[in-house]
Amino acid sequence: MRNLIKGFGLGALALAATFAGPAAQAQGYPEKPITIVVPFPPGGSTDLLARKIGEAISGPLGQPVVVENRGGAGGTVGANYVAQSDPDGYTLLMGVTGSNAISAALRDDLPYSPTEDFDPVSIVISSPLVLVVNSESPYTSVEDVIAYAKENPETFTHGTPGVGTSMHMAAELFGLESGTKLVHVPYKGSAAALQDLLGGQIDSMFGDILVTSEYVKAGRLRPLAVTGTKEHYLLEGVPTMAEAGLTNYAAFSWQGIFAPAGTPPEVLDKLYGAISDAVASDDLQALFKERGFLVEGMPPAESKTFIASEVEKWTKVVDAAGLKN
Amino acid sequence: MDLWHGIQIGLQTALSWHTLMFCFIGVTVGTFVGVLPGIGALAAISLALPLTYYIDPTDALIMLAGIFYGAQYGGSTASILLNLPGTATAAITCLDGYPLAQQGKAPLALFVTAVNSFVGSSLAIVLVMGFAPVIAEFALEFGSAEYFAVILLGLVAASTMTLGSPFKALAMVVFGLALGQVGTDINTGQFRYTFGILELADGFSLVAVAMGLFGVAEIIANIGQPQGVLHKVGKIRFADMWPNRSEWKQIWWPTLRGTGIGSFIGALPGTGPGIASLMAYAVEKRISKTPERFGNGALEGISSPEAANNASVQAAFIPTLSLGIPGDAVVAVLLGAMILHGITPGPNLINDQPQMFWGLIISFWVGNLMLLVLNIPLIGLWVKLLTIPYHLLYPGVLIFICLGVYSADNNVFDIFVVLGFGIIGYVMRRTGFPATPVLLGFILGPLLEEHFRRAMLLSKGNILIFFERPISAVFMVISLIFLASVFLPGLRARLSRGRASTAD
Repeated sequence: MRNLIKGFGLGALALAATFAGPAAQAQGYPEKPITIVVPFPPGGSTDLLARKIGEAISGPLGQPVVVENRGGAGGTVGANYVAQSDPDGYTLLMGVTGSNAISAALRDDLPYSPTEDFDPVSIVISSPLVLVVNSESPYTSVEDVIAYAKENPETFTHGTPGVGTSMHMAAELFGLESGTKLVHVPYKGSAAALQDLLGGQIDSMFGDILVTSEYVKAGRLRPLAVTGTKEHYLLEGVPTMAEAGLTNYAAFSWQGIFAPAGTPPEVLDKLYGAISDAVASDDLQALFKERGFLVEGMPPAESKTFIASEVEKWTKVVDAAGLKN
Repeated sequence: MDLWHGIQIGLQTALSWHTLMFCFIGVTVGTFVGVLPGIGALAAISLALPLTYYIDPTDALIMLAGIFYGAQYGGSTASILLNLPGTATAAITCLDGYPLAQQGKAPLALFVTAVNSFVGSSLAIVLVMGFAPVIAEFALEFGSAEYFAVILLGLVAASTMTLGSPFKALAMVVFGLALGQVGTDINTGQFRYTFGILELADGFSLVAVAMGLFGVAEIIANIGQPQGVLHKVGKIRFADMWPNRSEWKQIWWPTLRGTGIGSFIGALPGTGPGIASLMAYAVEKRISKTPERFGNGALEGISSPEAANNASVQAAFIPTLSLGIPGDAVVAVLLGAMILHGITPGPNLINDQPQMFWGLIISFWVGNLMLLVLNIPLIGLWVKLLTIPYHLLYPGVLIFICLGVYSADNNVFDIFVVLGFGIIGYVMRRTGFPATPVLLGFILGPLLEEHFRRAMLLSKGNILIFFERPISAVFMVISLIFLASVFLPGLRARLSRGRASTAD
């Protein structure tokens, strides 16, 4: 008995020792430059956000923050790279809805799991989408679209930047909630879809708020509803989907910082501290406002729950729409 | 705002000393990026983009754009001198450029491409200045049916593009089409032929395929050659560069035709300079009275594609600046740069940001003049490249190719892809299979599929859509005429032969 207790004690000591390692490391964190992997080429909104955050946290953390662009396969190449990196807080991911939630719902052949292979540091921002039609089309409300689509199933078209993008998912959710069947017309990137919407080749799209608001201002596109839960300041007077009759509807795209699973909690907390200070700064607040982003700044635990709920939500949509690959 | 007022604003912006400086930096970097095999405009702009966060947005844009069109000038240099394309879009220039260099006409070829590039760009800039909104609206009429018809025409025109066995050429087009199948199926999101490799989900990169088949293959083919230099080069005199009267005559029309094709393709979003130069070459050979000269150093074979790729690059700014829709992948990065600087491109850009719009356009003129002045004296320097022994030159080139493909996505995988295609290209060379048709199938195949399937989706499977829509119908009819002109003479000959034999 005594031996057993002794054994326990030793075991506990050994355990404590193994945990002391990373903890001791975490204390001095960061001791070398941190890399934020952006899973897209430079120039996009994810790239911009990563660079601005990197710039803002580098001072307080006392180490340079390097942004590395590893594009490919809708963000999954870069996400996979970070998932397989050492969980030491020196390689982080600027993850998005596609790479860190929808892909899990859509693909069985994904080499990483968005829920199990990452410890989220913070979901930084979210951004609703907007359902737009050509301003020369007859549709002036969500009601019009639903009525038309019900009368003519599989006729009303919507363009997206590709299968499994948040724009695609928002439209599938629309179909499920409204009981309609729209025709999905996927493009390579949102600009091509926008081009065909302006040219009247397709009927609608769920678009990025900032970009589409320019065309709304110019009188080329007509916004019917935003996918968020409240009115968006870039599109004042445009109802939400809930206000337009689809009471359960909400869809966002979001972006956040992720670390590989197994990163010491102290490291996550330290990173989160720096990020939440950065998010509160005037500089980033101005950027968010300009870009049409809604500030989230979720702490690690909340981010983890949020990701789980997103994966669950989109899995339901993917299954109901029969999109699984 | 009228044109004259716009030009005034543009001059004020583009001729300030700091803007001139950034324009100069851009076009100079562009020229070198173009000359160095493997590192293209896309990689260079992506690398330079973060540096522009700290400068004035108009200056930033002018500099980045300068890299883009500057690279089109330099791209042909290595194609002509070394048979190594400097950029993926310049691969086609190897076909006639390298034979010209072998005939000792490298200075002439380089001078001609500089002039072609300048003329192609300048005429396209006129279009951007005067008609951008009108052309952009016209381009919106192009749906997937029209894109399909245009690309089909390109493919038909290019069907007679290579020398040698038509069966080998056809086999290589099919090989290129097969390569183009690799990647994500746009309509379903399914991975095709990726074998579980996530890096293949976007397909093979054009840069890696072109650099492998043309560049690395050329280097492998030269391994084991006796050590030495490629060509003996004497002192270059201006007379070596200046085309004589009959040479001017040869390039005059091809340059204009190339400019026309390039401007048209460039103004259509989602295409790019690669397609423009491919189509220009194909058309030039198709309508030539002496097609057998192509591939053996025909000046038309470099004039038309070089004018076309420069025109297409300038014309790509038409949809970009007047509608906010990027003309090709590189301009998409430039649009990203605008957004980074807080300018959201859209249909109001010309009115909201007149200083940026007109400043950029005038900077195109300034930049192209700089490029012309920069490139002609550089010809002497480039030709000296040939005096570097190849045991020194080729390792250097290989490093640049690896750097170029790696920097696109910061991924080592692409280096293995380029190596793999180098070996395939070498085997093809030894067995007499041409590489250009591979590129043709690889570039046009996926576009053809994408637009065909989207047209079918939108028409609910009605194939007549290609003939019901007027613009599409016109292109389909031209394609049919082209096809008829290829097959009918043979058919008639066979028929008359048949009749003759029955008469016997």
